[in-house]
Amino acid sequence: MTASHTRPDAEARPSGARARAALRRVARRQWLPNQPLVRHLILFVVGAGLFYVLTVSVGAYNDYQIGEIAVYAIVLGGLSVLTGLNGQFSLGHGAFMIIGAYTLALLQLHADVGLVGELVIAAVIAAAAGAVVGVPAARLSPPYLAGVTLMLALGLPQLSAQYGSVFGGEQGLTTTPPAAPGTLSPERWLAWIQLFCALVVLVLLANLVRSRFGRAFRAVRDDDVAAAVSGIHVARTKVLAFTVSAGCAGLGGALLVLSTGVVNVGEFPLSLSIALLAAMVFGGAGSLVGVWWGAVALVYMPTWSTSLSQHLSLGTSAAAYLSDAFFGVVLIIAMLVSPAGVQGGVRRIGQLLWRTVAGPALESAPNGLAARDGTPSGVAGGGVATDRMNQETKERSRS
Amino acid sequence: MGLFVDILLSGVAQGMVFAAIALALGLVSRATGIVNFAQGAMGMFTTFIAFSLLSDGVGYWPAFVAALALGAVLGAAVERTLIRPLQGKPALNPVIVTIGLLIVLEGAAGSIWGNVARGFPAAFSQRGLVIGRTRVAFSHFDVFLVCAVVVLVVAIVALFRWTNLGLRMRAAAFSPEVSRLLGVRVGRLFTLAWALACAAGSLAGLLVAPLSSFSPYFMDLNLVYGFTAAVLGGLLSPVGALVGGLVTGLAIALVGGYVGPDLQPIAALALLLLVLMVRPQGLFGTTKVRRV
Amino acid sequence: MLHVEGLSVRYGPVRALESVSFEARSGSITTVLGANGAGKTTLLRTLSGLVPSHQGTASFDGQRITGRAPEAIARLGVSHVPEGRGVIAELTVDENLRLGTFVRVRRGDRRAVVDEIYERFPQLRDKRHRSASTLSGGERQMLVIGRALACRPRLLLLDEPSLGLSPIVTAQLMATLRELTAGDGLGAVLVEQNARSALSVADWAIVLNLGRVVVADRPARLAADADLRRHYLGF
Repeated sequence: MTASHTRPDAEARPSGARARAALRRVARRQWLPNQPLVRHLILFVVGAGLFYVLTVSVGAYNDYQIGEIAVYAIVLGGLSVLTGLNGQFSLGHGAFMIIGAYTLALLQLHADVGLVGELVIAAVIAAAAGAVVGVPAARLSPPYLAGVTLMLALGLPQLSAQYGSVFGGEQGLTTTPPAAPGTLSPERWLAWIQLFCALVVLVLLANLVRSRFGRAFRAVRDDDVAAAVSGIHVARTKVLAFTVSAGCAGLGGALLVLSTGVVNVGEFPLSLSIALLAAMVFGGAGSLVGVWWGAVALVYMPTWSTSLSQHLSLGTSAAAYLSDAFFGVVLIIAMLVSPAGVQGGVRRIGQLLWRTVAGPALESAPNGLAARDGTPSGVAGGGVATDRMNQETKERSRS
Repeated sequence: MGLFVDILLSGVAQGMVFAAIALALGLVSRATGIVNFAQGAMGMFTTFIAFSLLSDGVGYWPAFVAALALGAVLGAAVERTLIRPLQGKPALNPVIVTIGLLIVLEGAAGSIWGNVARGFPAAFSQRGLVIGRTRVAFSHFDVFLVCAVVVLVVAIVALFRWTNLGLRMRAAAFSPEVSRLLGVRVGRLFTLAWALACAAGSLAGLLVAPLSSFSPYFMDLNLVYGFTAAVLGGLLSPVGALVGGLVTGLAIALVGGYVGPDLQPIAALALLLLVLMVRPQGLFGTTKVRRV
Repeated sequence: MLHVEGLSVRYGPVRALESVSFEARSGSITTVLGANGAGKTTLLRTLSGLVPSHQGTASFDGQRITGRAPEAIARLGVSHVPEGRGVIAELTVDENLRLGTFVRVRRGDRRAVVDEIYERFPQLRDKRHRSASTLSGGERQMLVIGRALACRPRLLLLDEPSLGLSPIVTAQLMATLRELTAGDGLGAVLVEQNARSALSVADWAIVLNLGRVVVADRPARLAADADLRRHYLGF
């Protein structure tokens, strides 16, 4: 339609109307540019700034934990896209983390490809494994998908014992963290790398969500028959979602073992895979902001449950179990009540606050609603706009 | 030859445990259309309670019966509190709830009893029987195990085929609405199915605990093998569960004996995927796996 | 025996039934007619407890049945024969019939009740051990009506029993229904698309349109009203 560029722009309006329009743009979350990439890059820069301040203001141990949070944000981001967007799920993402982790360790041992090469290859190998699992997974209904991925989470770790000469058996393999430049502490440097990767991955995922593929993911989730009828290759879409998701988990696994300095399957038990699912649900399935809530829960829950078990004088060994049980309870409650996770709650609180703070202001604005429809508001200075509007109306009636 | 026979015999004993778990999964699935991934953990929990009773000086058989009864109570409670509210929700929700229950129960057992591998006593001697002049890898306890599971399967088949209660349970599972119109109290029968299934799961736990290292996680692998057996047997048929259990047990034992015990789970996964791709209704069943 | 007063049902914002009132007496057949979507099936499903009512009451022999569970209403002697797939195809013919006897027939009498059904429908006896899925349409209809009778009901709620049956079988079915309700104090509510045959057998008829009762009268007078026939009954 040719009429779209003849819409009255803000310059033509009186200042009051301009201010109201700005307020409305904030209300409709249009304070960011419309192009997804630009929009996500701005969020990237804001996030990077925030994390820079955060890491600089905390000690070395917290650097380690912040890095861990970033790593889990990557894994949960992939899982969130798989579940929230594509309607599949996985109880075996720990297995893909293992694949990424061992790939990195083996590359450090036997090849010299540099950190970036190690990380990329780890993600690619895990993604390939995800594609292999995704092909049968795409055809399975939830109970069978659960069974298959559960078996993957239980079965894959045992391969390291079977092929001990390659994977180092129970002791596993060691990893070397990247050397920090200048006087920077290695922990902080690694945390920055991990955060950088997390932000890059989340921006990429956010773009994927807005892309053709993202729409296909959602269409398949909502109604696979309708999606198939409208020309989407359902199985291929599902496999793609699984591949992307597994790749994220692999990258996460590789980044994680850079911090721990050692790869061994004991770090990736079945309960981790289930906790990942729970943390994703906790943050809010499909929300790429919510993954940070889930990641914080994953990293801090063991610490909190240690202090809780001390408080309840349950003995130190109970702490790890309390954390597992917490994630189990999260899953059960989420399914019984089916809320949208923490991020859903935050969004709702935000909306409520917005309505109470900005609502009256919007309502008291004269012609508030009319202005939104593109009709001129106010009288002074509206002449040009009105002319244009008339022109637009004429054009419309002609076409 | 001796090794081969021993492998087969241990496969039979293992397979019977998988059959019991597959039967439990099938009972629940038949009644409420749900695969209960917490089945193994529920059996683990009641087996730990039996362990506590044994430690307190209670005799083996009272503890055994108590564990079965507790399993039934636990099953009924779970159905009423966690599963029934999910009626009419997407199929994903009950799956995730049972997964959540799985780690809650494992976490609870770990907090109460600690994650130490212990020994669980067997009802009978675990020394291999002597047949002719050779000692085979099949003990008195294994004989008991096989008999117990066969009796369980026969009892379930008889219940369904020859009793009015069984007829009502089948009707409720196949056609809940019509059954209700005929006055059948479908909700109670679903609770009963869960109770029976979880008693069977407890039996599996009690039987397999002496064969394995007894920790809060000892049922994890048994559950996935039992799931493989259930899918192989078609999920809904008790006899299918028995045959599926045997096939899975033998396959696992052969892989363990000739390739390596650490490859067993991956081998079971391969078997499961093979069945799901080639014959999703199982060897016996008519279950429909939804395909896109 | 069945007393319905101001019954309303909503599916979300959609009003499926709006203040429906009528009575059904024992020893008589009340037919409920109307076009597709008029609310006939909803009415039966509400009476048997499958659909919750929004307003109004239904009582059976003085006991309120709205708000009760379907199994509780069935135990009072209300037997709902649902439309179409009422047969449990995975069970045998005999098992389907026995299932009917569990609630209102004493243990010792159950076999006799089932045999009585076989007397009435000899074709079913020949196929008693076959899976119900092997039956023809007419046989299936016999089976569900036989099973409802095996419940020893006091009120039958029949949803389109003639659906898919040939005119001859339909006529037989209606004759059977007439015969059943003649004697021992059994009442029936008959929902039908096939208005002509339903009117031929009923003692009282109500016509639903868009969830409301538009006419309640004797079948003969309904059949005589050409306008009504054209608008609501389609013959």
